[in-house]
Amino acid sequence: MAVKKFKTMVNPKPIKGDKKYGELYKPGGKVRKRREWRGVGDTLYDYWRWLGILLTLGKFVAVPRNVKAMFRYRWMANYLAVPMMVDRFTQGLRGEYLRMAHEQQDLIIIDVAKLLGNIFRGDRRIGNDEEFSKINVLVDENEMTAVMMGFPNLKSTSRETPSTYVSVLLNQHAAEHYIDVAQEYGLAGDVCPMPEAEAGVSIDDDAPILGACAVQCNTTCDGSLLGNGVISRRLEKEDGIPVFQLPAPLRHKEDDVQDYAAEEIRRAIKFIEEHTGHKWDWDYYFECARRVNYATKCRNEWLDMNKTDYPQIFGGNLALYTETNYMAICGKVPEFERCDRRLMKLAEKAYKKQKMAAPEYRHRAIVWGVQSHFYMDFLVWLLNCWGIVPLTDMLSCINTEMIAETDTPENREQAYYDMAMLTEEMIMRNRTHGGYKVLLDDLFEFVEQYNADMIILWEHITCKALDGMHGLFEDKARERGIPLIWVDHQLFDPRVISRQGVRDQVNQYMRTVMQEEPLDPTLEILDDDNSW
Amino acid sequence: MRFIGKAILYLFLICTGLFLVTFPIYFFNIDMKLTSMIEPLLLKHYDRIDRDQHL
Repeated sequence: MAVKKFKTMVNPKPIKGDKKYGELYKPGGKVRKRREWRGVGDTLYDYWRWLGILLTLGKFVAVPRNVKAMFRYRWMANYLAVPMMVDRFTQGLRGEYLRMAHEQQDLIIIDVAKLLGNIFRGDRRIGNDEEFSKINVLVDENEMTAVMMGFPNLKSTSRETPSTYVSVLLNQHAAEHYIDVAQEYGLAGDVCPMPEAEAGVSIDDDAPILGACAVQCNTTCDGSLLGNGVISRRLEKEDGIPVFQLPAPLRHKEDDVQDYAAEEIRRAIKFIEEHTGHKWDWDYYFECARRVNYATKCRNEWLDMNKTDYPQIFGGNLALYTETNYMAICGKVPEFERCDRRLMKLAEKAYKKQKMAAPEYRHRAIVWGVQSHFYMDFLVWLLNCWGIVPLTDMLSCINTEMIAETDTPENREQAYYDMAMLTEEMIMRNRTHGGYKVLLDDLFEFVEQYNADMIILWEHITCKALDGMHGLFEDKARERGIPLIWVDHQLFDPRVISRQGVRDQVNQYMRTVMQEEPLDPTLEILDDDNSW
Repeated sequence: MRFIGKAILYLFLICTGLFLVTFPIYFFNIDMKLTSMIEPLLLKHYDRIDRDQHL
């Protein structure tokens, strides 16, 4: 079969400012030589947003207990790199693309700062505000927080989000210490390093202690079950914080598991009510449900735009924003709805003007598999270096259905099934579990829908759920004439495969198989092993 | 009117001064260069903290 090839699109408008982004890197350095020149208007906009980020960080540091926490928890050192994370995710972006990226990134920064502030306020080691601690329900990092949509006065607090998940986004080396600690205590080295690092934080006595109770979920894999076991043992037996295990069915597409899934949601809510003394509030639940639906509607429309020749919200920013808004926020924070509206306006404006985010679009790619967390801005690199447009990624291909949002007796019953559906179809697990249809067949349906001519397939080398399908992906891609680039990585651990190791796999494929030259050759090889 | 004029002038001078100080910090990435020097000191500090490390 002939190989599918998208016709290259050339941006009629030249990109203002710097064009050789590799020259901004300092070889072997932790940070870059200077920030990007984006033309006068966009540089000043980026500068203004940078001031805003400094203000957020300044407000955070102005609270003495937050400074105390900075000197107590090793993972807090990674937050020194917050402005650089934004620089990485906005590389090469101009106009509406820069504004959309800042809308998403800056709100995530504010939200994480609030989360950290709450954690340290209730933490027995830092703020030790016992009354405040009692209104916190601990949840996993990789957990849908739908069961908290009916508790307006409780906070769903994930300790793992700031200690491991965000830390690795900020600093590629952030999890290494905790992975090593976990393995020193005998935990297997061939499980996913994300839950392993989370367990490592707990073993290293580096997890804040707070909360009335905790809800853990059988998120995605054997590794997460392993990690949760270690963490819950310490929570229950030493810290006196009761833990509920929410076992969402893995065969989430099957009708025969849905009654059981809804029943587990009921049990989780009952558990939270018993341990916090707070009662479920249906008004608040349906208010959150309306916001969840609005977020779903926006995401569906953005993805529809990405099926056209002029995609607007795509790449690392789409992935990161979706993960935050869908799972951690889940309708509970109105600011995200306002952000969705602003994003929609910017996306529509850029779409009407037929704007492009790079000098050339050479390939339209679907990015599949579990992405490398220590190099989440790789998708920006794909665009800038090779003109490959990452139209959507596996983690952004989540629920597209609306849930019940009006308060009726029938909908109150339906709500348990909706919460169960959202929980079963959490990011990542909705594809890595549920059978080959959701992982394999759907990928090739998306390739057709998005008119993609390339697949970038992350191979997280310790993710057994995906690795078992390696040959099937190759067979299907070959049948359909779709170039498929495997990109090996180890999620949280760049010592196994470095960022350059990740880039090399694409570079080699593009040069040897596709016989192409890079759009920006300065980005092809970067000495960024020591970089944040 | 003179008071308002003076206030606007002072505001303009303050904003210009702040811009002249902060823009070079932003553009030459001085904030990140400084914080990257703090990190090794913090890591040494964390290594000295006694921890109840166990499974």
